[in-house]
Parts: sequence; C-alpha cells; structure tokens
Amino acid sequence: MNWEIILLFAAPVICSLPIAFYWVKDPGSEKARKLPYLSVFGLFVSFVIAIHILLTYPNGTYTIPWLPEYNINFVFIFDYLSKYMGALTAFIAFMIGLYGLEYMKHDYRLGWYWFFFNMFTASMLLVVYSDNLLMLLIGWEGLGLASWGLIGHWFRDDDEISYVGIVGRKVGPLKMYWPPSYGGWRAISTIRTGDMPMFFAVAAIYALTGNLNISQIHWGALFAKIGFAGTLFLMLCFLMGPFTKSAQLPFSEWLMTAMTGPTTVSALLHSATMVAAGTYLFIRMSWYIHPWALHSVPGVGTLYLVVLLLGLFSALYGASVAIGCLERKVLLAASTMSSLGLMFGCAAASYWFGKLAVVIAFWYLMTHAFAKATLFLVAGHLIHATHDRFCCGDLNLAKKMKTAFIATIVATIALGGLPPLTAYWVKAGMDTVMHHIVEMVGSLPLDLLIVTSLLYSAFLAKFLSLNFWKGDKYHLHLHGEKLMPFAYACVVSMVFLLLYRIITGTDPLAETHLLEFGLEKDSFIVGLGVTATYLFALVVPRIRALSPVGTFLGDRMYLPALNDFIVPSIGWAISKLIEYTHRAIDWFCHFGLPDAMLAISKRIRAIQVGYMRVYMKIALAFVMAAIVVSMLGWL
Amino acid sequence: MLLGSSTILALVVLTLGAACSLKDVRISLAASLVALAIVLATAVSTPQLFMYVLLIIAVGVLAVFSMNVRENQMSGIDYALVALIAVITVYIAYTSDIAFILASFVIASVPTYALVFVSTDGKPHVDVAIKYITFMVLATVLFIIGTLLLVFSNSANNSILYTLGFVMLILGLGMEVGCAPVHEWVPDVFSAADPLPLSVIASITKIVPFIAAYKILLLTALPQLNNLTVFVAFIAVISMFTGNIGALTAKETGRILAYSTVANMGYIIATLAVITTKNFLYLAFAGALLQLIVNAFGKLSFFASIKTNGSSRPLMYLLALSFIGLPPLMGFWSKFFILTSLVGAGLVWLAFLLIVNSAISIPYYLRIARNLTSNTIPGKVTAISLVASAAMLMTVLPPNWFINVAKIVIGGV
Repeated sequence: MNWEIILLFAAPVICSLPIAFYWVKDPGSEKARKLPYLSVFGLFVSFVIAIHILLTYPNGTYTIPWLPEYNINFVFIFDYLSKYMGALTAFIAFMIGLYGLEYMKHDYRLGWYWFFFNMFTASMLLVVYSDNLLMLLIGWEGLGLASWGLIGHWFRDDDEISYVGIVGRKVGPLKMYWPPSYGGWRAISTIRTGDMPMFFAVAAIYALTGNLNISQIHWGALFAKIGFAGTLFLMLCFLMGPFTKSAQLPFSEWLMTAMTGPTTVSALLHSATMVAAGTYLFIRMSWYIHPWALHSVPGVGTLYLVVLLLGLFSALYGASVAIGCLERKVLLAASTMSSLGLMFGCAAASYWFGKLAVVIAFWYLMTHAFAKATLFLVAGHLIHATHDRFCCGDLNLAKKMKTAFIATIVATIALGGLPPLTAYWVKAGMDTVMHHIVEMVGSLPLDLLIVTSLLYSAFLAKFLSLNFWKGDKYHLHLHGEKLMPFAYACVVSMVFLLLYRIITGTDPLAETHLLEFGLEKDSFIVGLGVTATYLFALVVPRIRALSPVGTFLGDRMYLPALNDFIVPSIGWAISKLIEYTHRAIDWFCHFGLPDAMLAISKRIRAIQVGYMRVYMKIALAFVMAAIVVSMLGWL
Repeated sequence: MLLGSSTILALVVLTLGAACSLKDVRISLAASLVALAIVLATAVSTPQLFMYVLLIIAVGVLAVFSMNVRENQMSGIDYALVALIAVITVYIAYTSDIAFILASFVIASVPTYALVFVSTDGKPHVDVAIKYITFMVLATVLFIIGTLLLVFSNSANNSILYTLGFVMLILGLGMEVGCAPVHEWVPDVFSAADPLPLSVIASITKIVPFIAAYKILLLTALPQLNNLTVFVAFIAVISMFTGNIGALTAKETGRILAYSTVANMGYIIATLAVITTKNFLYLAFAGALLQLIVNAFGKLSFFASIKTNGSSRPLMYLLALSFIGLPPLMGFWSKFFILTSLVGAGLVWLAFLLIVNSAISIPYYLRIARNLTSNTIPGKVTAISLVASAAMLMTVLPPNWFINVAKIVIGGV
C-alpha cells in the first residue's frame, strides 16, 4: 500500500525526468523525441493505481509519518470524493498525454513540456488524495508552478497562433492581445495573490486547532470559538486560494489568457486539474465542515451565502463572455469559468439543502471534466487542422473530421443540459437545490442558474455550429492524426458511463435522487428551454446586428483592465514609493549620516585648542556642575 | 603575608637596579625583570589569581621592553618605574584595605609624571607634561577626597556626603583614565608626547584606578548607591560617543588612539553602573578587567609601533579586530561580558548604545591598522606585537575562568 501510494505521485515525475534532462543536452534529436512515450507511461502507471484505489481500497485515511511531534503527517484520504476524483484526474491526464504525443510532436521544448505536464498531474493527484492541509499545499503550489511553466511554454512569443486576442488591437490604454509569456505571468501572479492569504489561513487553522487534517478538525467548534467576524475572515482568506485557482470574479482574467499555452495544457487545466482543484477543495471542505449542521454557529451562513452568490455571478459572467467570444479556446475558457461558478454555487447551497447539494456539485464537476476535456482536445485538433484559433469550418470539414464532429455533438449536448444526456440530470439536481432554497435566500440564485443554463447551451451550440456548420472559410491541413481522435473519443465516452450510473441509480450517494429530480416537471421545463436556446444558436450562431454587444462581451466586459491597468498602476505607485524610500536611505547613508558624523567629530575635536586654561575651564566647570547637580537632589 | 614580603623584596630589587643604572642601564633592565619574576613566582601560592598575575606581569614585561626600544634621558630608571606600576597593579588585587588601595592608586599614577617628560631626541616634552600632570593631580585629589568622604559617610551614614563623595570619586577616576567630558588632556598628550612612555601611560596605568574604584565603592556601599549609578551611565555614554565620533576624523594615529582610549574608558566605566546588581556584578567587573587588559596589550603595541613607523600587518590587523570585538578574540569576550552584565542589570539602552558605538569604531580601528603597517625588519616592536596578539588569541575557547579570577581580584584574598 505504501509503495503504491508513493508510486502514484512519483511515477509521472520520475518518468518525465529522462526527457527533461536529455532535452537540455541534445534538444530536438530523434532519440529525445522518443522519450515522451516514457512520460506517458508514467501517467499510465498513475492511472492504473488510481483505478486500483477506486475499486479496492476501503474508505478511510492512511498515514505516513512526517512531523509526528507537531501532529503533521502525510495523510492520504480515500473517500467518495477522492476516489472518483483521483481516477478521473489520472484517466484524463493519461488520455491527454496520449493526445499530446501527437499534438506536441514537433515542438521545440519537449523536455520542459513533459516535465511540467507530468508534475501538473502529480500535483493534482496530491491535492486530490491529501487530507492534510500542509501536504495539500505542496500539491497546490506544484499546480501553480506547473501552470506557469505550461501556459508560458511557448515563451518566445513568436507564433501568432499561440496568442490570445487579435494582435495589435487596442481599446483605450489596454492592449487586447496577450502573448504566452504574459499569459504565464498573469496566471502565476493572480494565483499567488490568492495563495498568500490561504497560507496564513492554514497557519491560523493549525494555531487554533493543532490539527491540519480536514476530516479530523472540529470545524463547528473552531468557528464557534472565533465568532462571526473570525469565521468570515479566516474562511474568506482560505477561500482566496480556491477563488483565484478556480478563476472566480474578479480573478478570472488569468484563465482567459491561459489559452496561450498548448491546447493539451488547456484541456488538462480546465477539466481535471488546476481550476478543478479550487472547486474540489471547496467541495471537500464542505463535505467535512457539515455546514448544514452548523446553523447555530454565527458566520457560517454568511460565508456560504457569499460563496453562493459569488459563484453564480461568476457563472453568469462567464457564460455572457462565452456568448461574445469567437476564439475557440477562449470561448471554452469562459465556459469553464461559468461551470466552476455553478459548482461553487451548488456546493455552497448545501448550507440550506444538505449534503446532497455537495454531491450534485461534484457530479457536475465530473461531467464537466469529461465534456470540457473533449471540447478542448477537439479545439486543439481543429487549430492544428485549420491553423486558425478563431472559429471556422463547415459541413465539409465535419465530414473530413467525423470523430471530432461527433465528439463535439455529444460533448455539447451532454454538458449543455439537454435531456436526456448526463448534464440534464445533474442540472435538474441543481434546479431542485436552487428551487428549494428560494424560501431561505430568495429567488435570485434560481434565476441566475436558469439564465446561465440557457446561455450555456447557446454558446455550446454556437461552438458546434461555427466550427462544423456555419463558420467562416478555412484552409485544411490534415496530417492523418490517429492518437488525437482516439483520445477524445475515449474521454467523451465517459459521459455515458456517468449517465449509466445516474439512470440505474447505482451511485452510493447520488442513488436515485438525480433521476427523481430529472423527472420533475420544473426541471423538464428548464430542459426544454435549454434545448430551445441550443437549437436556436445552432441555426443562428452569429447575429450581426448585435455585434457591438458581442464585442463588449467578447472583450470580457473590459475586466482585463483590472489585471493590465489598475493593479499595475498600484504596483507602479508602490515601486515609486519604494524607490523614493531607497533614495532617502541612500541619501541618509551616503550624505546625511557621514556629514552629521563629520560635523560632530569636528566639534568634538575643536575643544583641543592646546591651551591649558581652556582645558581647565572645561574640566573644572564640569566638575563643579556635577557636584552642584548632585547636591540639588538634597535641597 | 608572603606577598607583602615578596613585594618589599621586589621594590628593593627595583630600587637597587635603578641606582645601578647610573653605571649600566642593563642592570636595571635585568633587575626589573627579576622583580617581576619574583612577584610572579609568589603568585603560585594563590592559584586562583595566577592567571591575573600572569597577564599583568606579561603587560609589565612588554611595557619594560617598550621603554627599551629607544634610549631616553632617564633610561634605566624608567624600567624600574614601569615595573613598579606592574608590581602595584598585581598588589592591589590582594588588598582590601582602603589605605593600601589609595596608596596603590597614587603609586601607579606618580611614576608616569616622570615618564611623560622623556624623549629620545634629548628635548624633554615639558609642555605636554605640564598639562598631563596638572590633570593627574586634580584627578588624584578628587579621587582621594571622594574616597575619604565615602569612608566617612559610610561610617556616619550621611547620605549627602556619600553622594558628594561618589561624584568626586567618579570624576577623579574619569579624569585619571580619560573619560569625557574631562578628557581634554588625552588627545594633546597622546599626540604630542613620546610614543614610548605613552605606550605605558595608555596601557597598564589604566588598570589600578578602576580596581581601586570598584573596591572602594563596594567597601563603602550605602543603599542610595542604586540611585547614583545613573551618573556613571551618563559619563559612559558621553565618553563612548565623544571617543568614537572624535576618532572618526582624527588623522594622526596618536590622536586616533587618544579618542579610542576615551571610548574604551567609556565602555569600562559603564560597568560601574552594574555595581548594585549582585548577580551580574562579577560579570561586569570581569568584562571591565578584560577590556582593560585588551586595551593595555593593544595600546602598548600600537604606540610602540608608532615609534618605529609601523609593524607587521597581520599583527596590527589582529589587534585592531580585537578592539572592534570580533570573536573569538579577547576584545569580543570583554565586550560580551560587559553587554551581558548591562542587559542583566536592566540597562538595555546602555547596552544598545555600546553596540552602536562598537559599530562606529570599526572604520578608525581599521585605519589605525593600515597606518601602522610597514615593511620594516622585524625587531623589538614586532616581538611586543606578537606577544600581544598571542594574548588576544588566548580566548579562542570561551574564557569562563576569567569570571572567577575577576571575582577574586575584586573580593581580595
């Protein structure tokens, strides 16, 4: 068990080391280009172990001592969440690895790519299986580092195809295009902003409870101890990590420009790792915090209300942006942000609805992961085939890339929430949850969810339509790819596995609930509405008359100003301040202090005039003064 | 008793040697060394104090050899006078009688009145000598009257007189060793007198006044001593800053050393502020005594080197670094003891200022070392510096033993 667990995380990293080092020594050689197979083998090992864990491991924790005297250990948790999530992560990573063998074949930096890709996977697995927050932070940081490495992979910024936005376009002071190097920087800088408060929150949790194991901490007692403001402050600091990683408002910009990385990276980043880590962590925390049982503890309700609204507003924002996007990957990125918002919102509703809301959020996470990975992989294939990152294509293209076409149809329907495919049942669960909480928090969440759902299926249909039916002209360069279609066909088929579990009601926690919710009248009406917007957008993917609105939405409502203008301005102001402080210190050290010393020194030495009478005057004056002053105390 | 008779024997040997020096200078040199050897041999009977005696005798021998570097008007007699100071410096550790303490104070000081006149070019330094002697006399008077007032007020339990006595004693001590703001004689004398007698005046003669002050204050302590230590701290701070900042712009090496002395006396007098804190008193005195020994070895070598226009580079730098307080040199441990005792007595602010002053002192000590570096052929001065440097390296192992030695020096045997 010990070795298996270590191998789960170590195999991908160890197997990527040969290419990482060999590429430095002999970049681009034939021999080096064979080594990626070894990296993918490492991912395969993880996959096999994850499946083994899913099928055979008993629920519970497994501890390897680390700092036992501080009650900090490597604690691995095997429960409903981690088993599914681990298998999902390892499967998708392995499939994308296979896809990447072909997709990245001619790249100029394979050592870098494979090392960070495998580290990315290993880090995510560490996040998934760890119960200990400190150990989780190791994986968490690994994700941040690897995402920086991978988003900025094409660091030379020499290929327009890797940019985001129309090169050269400016709106006011904002440059509306982002090269890979800048994309990587935007990602790491945003994530670090969230990680800092999270570190302090973890430290505070340890200081307050002496324990870092999520499943063991008495959250209720902790929150009761620190009161309303304390709970809100601590948990919002903690959730700054998940919020930034999962690109919730206003930290969403990095996710959009993360599209400057290779498509394989986008696919992994948007489905099973990185952004999913944030929601997964929130789901895991909620699972053990039991917020539904903490109604008497002040602060918890407010916290969950904040997350609920933040998630749902982010979902609406993401969906609106996706409606206006014309870039294949950026459209999908905005949709991911929307989905993550829904996950946060649904999981947060567990405060009023109970544990089932968390389960539903998790099911949505899984459905989204498979479907979104498929869409990204298809988008990558399309970009390769058409050498264009903007949506383009027609039925002729669909005929030539049948697998991609069918996979896109299945993925969009399954993710959009059209009955009777997978997301319909999951979204029906969400509808029920939001409907249930209308009494407690009003109808706003339900309204936001329904509007988001309608927009969501519309832009998915738009993606399908603009790429395979009614898109612009294109040039096709097919290279007879085999592995790439195979990979996304495998991934998309997994949505049927989930569907099977729902229909048969064999899942131990979702049981027959999702089926029941899906068969309710209200859910079905929403389903019909979603289908209607889907079909409408399929037939009318672009409305020219509304293009100014589309530009506004596609420019992400000018939120880039936050990352590219407002925050840098503050940064410049601070650096100016620091510069002036430095100058003041320099002046003090170079002139102020030496000059003062010089002047005092000269003063001190000025006494030495050489005349005895002067010396005696000074000495005797002091003697007399000292005696008089000392005697004054007795008067 | 053994020491009493051996001291008398040593004095007789010194007197005879000085008398015979009219015939041959070398007899006096030999007699001085014999006298010092007699004292050292006697010290074997008090093993707790042996290390103290050894260090003082070492300083004494170096001082004698320093006078021997060049001939002067009273060569021969000067050896005896220097050796006399060393013998008295040893003797004061053994006595706890106020009369003997005062006598030691005077005997350790008076020979320098003669020494300060001498020169190696035939013309005596009368000008400087008068400044020096005037200050010394004033200092001695203040010190003795202060002591008498302390002794009297202690038996009469008179607070007003006690305060007056304390202030006069401290002023006398400060003037004698060169604390600011009564330090005016120091820069003039140290830059104008002959470096060889200065190597004695700046080194070994500083030890007795401090031991005497410690002993007298402990013997006559009254409760209000607690309130008076602030006066000592005041003098210490002024002295440290005056010395260190003054030295920064001084150009002549002798003048730099003068201000360095003012600063060092500030560090040492600061320890008197700890005198009312039982637990840290011995540590404070150990720091003071060790700092005096560091000062003695260092100033001896530096002044002797001035006479020969420089000495060996590594030795000069080693001594300078010891003054700065670089571990594991002796100068580090003395400052470390002083700082620890100040902190222990609750005088953290004083400890902080002492550290600031140590930092200020770095440039000019390095300048001294650079000024005194030359490529002369190794001679007597190099030998003196070598012994002094070796002494600085004695404390590579933490000198915990020195605290016990200091305890006995101050307590008497």
